[in-house]
Amino acid sequence: MLFILHFALFTLHFALFDGSRERFPTMSPQQSDSEIPHSGTIEFEFDGHRVRAESGQSVAGALHVAGEHIVSRSFKYHRPRGLLCMSGRCPNCLCTVDGTPNVRICTQAAKPGMVVKSQNAWPSVKFDLLRIFDKLHRFMPVGFYYKRMYKPRWMWPVWEKFIRRIAGLGTINREHGAEGVYDKQNLFTDVAVIGGGIAGLNAALAAAEAGVTVTLIDEQPALGGHLRHDPDLACHGSVSRAKTEHTADTAVALGVNVSPSDAQDINDLIRRVTEHPAITVISSAGVFGCYEGNFLGIQQGKRMIRLRAAQVIVASGCWERPLVFENNDLPGVMLASGVQRLLHLDHCQFPGEAVVVTDNAQGYRVAKQLKAAGTRITAIVDVRDNPPEMADGIRVFRGHTIISANGSRHVSGAVIAPLAGHPRQSLSCRWIVQAVGFTPANSLLYQNGCKLRYDESVDQAVVVQHAPAMYSAGAVNALHNPRAAALDGQRAGAAAASEVSGTALAAGRDERQPHSSPAASAVPLSQSSLSCHYVSPSGAKKKFVCLCEDVTEKDICDAIDEGYSNIETLKRYSTVSMGPCQGKMCQSASIAICARHNGQSIAETGVTTARPPEQPLPLGVLAGRALHFSLVRRTPMHAWHEKAGAKMGDAGNWKRPQVYSSITQEYEAVRQRAGLIDVSTLGKIELRGADVVKFLEFIYPNRFANLKAGRVRYGVICDDAGILLDDGTIARLGEDRFFLTTTTGNADAIDSWFRWWLAGRPEWDVRMTNVSGSYAAMNLAGPRSREVLKKLTDADLSSDAMPYLVASECKIAGVSAIVLRIGFVGELGYEIHVPSQFGLHVWEAILEAGREFSIAPFGLEAQRVLRLEKKHLLPGIDTDALSNPLEADLPWIVKLDKEDFIGKESLARAQQRGDRNKLVGFRLSESVLPDLASLVLCDGKLGGRITSCGYSPAIGGTIGLAWVPANLARNGQTIQIQVNGRLIPAVVQDEPFYDPSGSKLKS
Amino acid sequence: MSFQIDCPNCGCRPVWEYHYGGTPRQRPESSATERQWAEYLYNRPNIAGEQTEWWYHRSACKLWFLVRRDTRTNQVLETKRFDGTAVTSEKSEKAVQSAE
Repeated sequence: MLFILHFALFTLHFALFDGSRERFPTMSPQQSDSEIPHSGTIEFEFDGHRVRAESGQSVAGALHVAGEHIVSRSFKYHRPRGLLCMSGRCPNCLCTVDGTPNVRICTQAAKPGMVVKSQNAWPSVKFDLLRIFDKLHRFMPVGFYYKRMYKPRWMWPVWEKFIRRIAGLGTINREHGAEGVYDKQNLFTDVAVIGGGIAGLNAALAAAEAGVTVTLIDEQPALGGHLRHDPDLACHGSVSRAKTEHTADTAVALGVNVSPSDAQDINDLIRRVTEHPAITVISSAGVFGCYEGNFLGIQQGKRMIRLRAAQVIVASGCWERPLVFENNDLPGVMLASGVQRLLHLDHCQFPGEAVVVTDNAQGYRVAKQLKAAGTRITAIVDVRDNPPEMADGIRVFRGHTIISANGSRHVSGAVIAPLAGHPRQSLSCRWIVQAVGFTPANSLLYQNGCKLRYDESVDQAVVVQHAPAMYSAGAVNALHNPRAAALDGQRAGAAAASEVSGTALAAGRDERQPHSSPAASAVPLSQSSLSCHYVSPSGAKKKFVCLCEDVTEKDICDAIDEGYSNIETLKRYSTVSMGPCQGKMCQSASIAICARHNGQSIAETGVTTARPPEQPLPLGVLAGRALHFSLVRRTPMHAWHEKAGAKMGDAGNWKRPQVYSSITQEYEAVRQRAGLIDVSTLGKIELRGADVVKFLEFIYPNRFANLKAGRVRYGVICDDAGILLDDGTIARLGEDRFFLTTTTGNADAIDSWFRWWLAGRPEWDVRMTNVSGSYAAMNLAGPRSREVLKKLTDADLSSDAMPYLVASECKIAGVSAIVLRIGFVGELGYEIHVPSQFGLHVWEAILEAGREFSIAPFGLEAQRVLRLEKKHLLPGIDTDALSNPLEADLPWIVKLDKEDFIGKESLARAQQRGDRNKLVGFRLSESVLPDLASLVLCDGKLGGRITSCGYSPAIGGTIGLAWVPANLARNGQTIQIQVNGRLIPAVVQDEPFYDPSGSKLKS
Repeated sequence: MSFQIDCPNCGCRPVWEYHYGGTPRQRPESSATERQWAEYLYNRPNIAGEQTEWWYHRSACKLWFLVRRDTRTNQVLETKRFDGTAVTSEKSEKAVQSAE
């Protein structure tokens, strides 16, 4: 069942965790280390009452001491749940902390005044009425919402609302979240080591001592891995099942000659790593993805670190897995490593009796540690018949396993039995501790393309082929013995470092990894015996596999019986492994159950695909700011515009003045007196060389061979399909020297376009310089502009000496300038380009000179109206990816008699075919302002759309540009434009709406 | 995509500094048939394997250069400046021929 939320989890695992700001501060760098000496006590609030914590203790540890053993309610059945893993893996301790939902309180240090609230329970986590769903489980079998809730269809939204209320995780507080800033950081390193356990520490040290830079990433607040909470591990050996043990000898046999004493003193090792100048340690940070090119995504609190590494060593270790038995989710049932963390990191105790279920040495260690802390150990229940460990006087049931946990809100006893399932006997206890093996944290290896194969002799997947520049070390290589892991880490570190420094070991790359099956003599666990290491033999219904989503063993078997027998479809249908833990607790068991039920081996069953993110992430981490990547460009006159009160707007990366005073005033200044607009954002390209004319003839549909020095021409650029890409002016300043402008938005694209065509023609003598940023530019326009400019230059500006379309180089206000007599806005005008450092000077000089003529600066909004009255199109606004210059009302530009140019073949064919649509000017019969892209209808059918429109003071009505079918593109033709659902007639007009003869422009 | 490309000018840089320019295509002569033009304009090879491509270092030196890349793994096998000798994708050539 699991409701619609499963879909969300399936498609976007982390979506559930988004919305608020700080979601999983389990990795917050600010959090205090739980190992720091405890001094004094603090108080925080849990569900409305006060809880005392030792300073430095985790929230979960403090709740354990206070006897608050129910910390959450399960997703579907609202069963009470208590602490389990204590390492930030399982879903059991998710709480809302200071308004942030889904915080794992087992790795969250308690802080004074903190407000912790339980989730998904009503009215409270201690007494949750919604537990009724636990009794209704038989009405909610696996996948029930696929089968029942979509009929009748109209009921689904009702169900959905209901389901969303009763199932799920924390609720996002939308008020909360303005605090703090999410950030991004980019780093690089020679060797990245993932995991700060014994293998990772040794790998980092070995690589650093070989002379390369190393970055060590560890998700816990302190380095040391399992040795932090399992102090006996170093002396007593492995954390894995004892049957097949890699030892230091195995690693030595791999050809690494190093001192194994490094494994003995973990604190010394940590000190050497942290003090090493070539090693950077990133603590409390999770690697959530390993992408191609060894690009690691790392979350550290509210920061995303993007780390590029030449070589990556995955030493991410392993996590303990739970056993599947009846009521295995009761508070009081814990993982052995969770118990050890509470004992040794949070200084907690476990009063009462405990039963330890185990199949390995870890169980015996934890039993002794509990005993030393004052817990009475009722029994060790060992799955194996002949365990080698000494029990120290504790009663051991050999060849037994646990059948069920008794109790309703907390463990009160355990039922155990031989592996066959009978006879059963009850033991009284308050705690059930499971130590039944570890699951390797190998998803990053899968993500980056390593090939892994399940190896029955070590009961885990091992790497058979590494991805390039990727290594694995330690527990992910099935080396669970600290000494072996240390040596394996040293081997990987040395190999990665030599790969970086180019001195690959003489032995070659093939030997840099341990052989995949080092324990050839190992006794394989038979399939039948294997399953009892994951699942206890009983037919009970409430044997939980997936704690996140309340998926039981029976659910999985039912799903397989319904046909979802492939592990991937099984996952999607049953939602096993799709919750907040992302399969960390349930993957091993679900595969084992799937294998058993299908009668396959675990290797044949396979694994589900590992994808980022490896841990749930707050979306804020992905969306955080990256200031230095959002470029802002300002023209040299920017400060002036702001001071003048201009309303600024974005044009690509540029900031441009939209309007200073009002569109009407600025319009009148240009049409009647003089106006000045900042056009520094135009793309500007200088071309020199003997073949520039040839190049321009090839690039533009226009003709340039006849453009004389000192003249400027308007041109458009097309691609080979004849599509109009951009427009601009081309000025010939000298015989082989040209100055081109492009539109603001296309400046980079045209730069790239020119270089692309030049790249294939290295024999052409064309030298190209992008001078867009070198020149400030402004357009002085209006009937009085000649008089204004005359005051600032000695050059002869008379219409004889400098007529329309002349390009001249002269001094303006003492500054060398390129002056183009062009008129985008349809008035006598000068586009003046000056070196950008003089931009502000010239701008101010012109405004000063124009003061007696009441000159005014004008912005983009006024310019849009001014150019629209002249029917000047804007590429990309009035044209799109289907527009050619013939249809865009610029047929005079296209010179099909030229030898060749880009787009010639396509334009020739377009001309033969005739126009299909045309860009026309229109006058609306009513003074309304249609939205852009309003439809043009012909006989009730869609005919075209408008691309620009605005109120024209010259016409006294609304004008615009529109694409219409060619048969309607006749002067005087009436077209219908849909405005707010109403058809409004408009008249097509061939001539510009202002100064149709161009006499003002050319005056 | 997070692989790196070795720019002949600037060295190894992340892919997001670059702009993809497609596989090299031979621009047909003006005498070419309509099918050949259509092939050139609208059809692109979609090779699962090694291919030569144009790339543009748009965030830095603005060089167009050639990259040999395995499209299955994004492994960059070779980068080089264009030296003027014609480079065409085998597959697109074949496609042109079959189009004729």
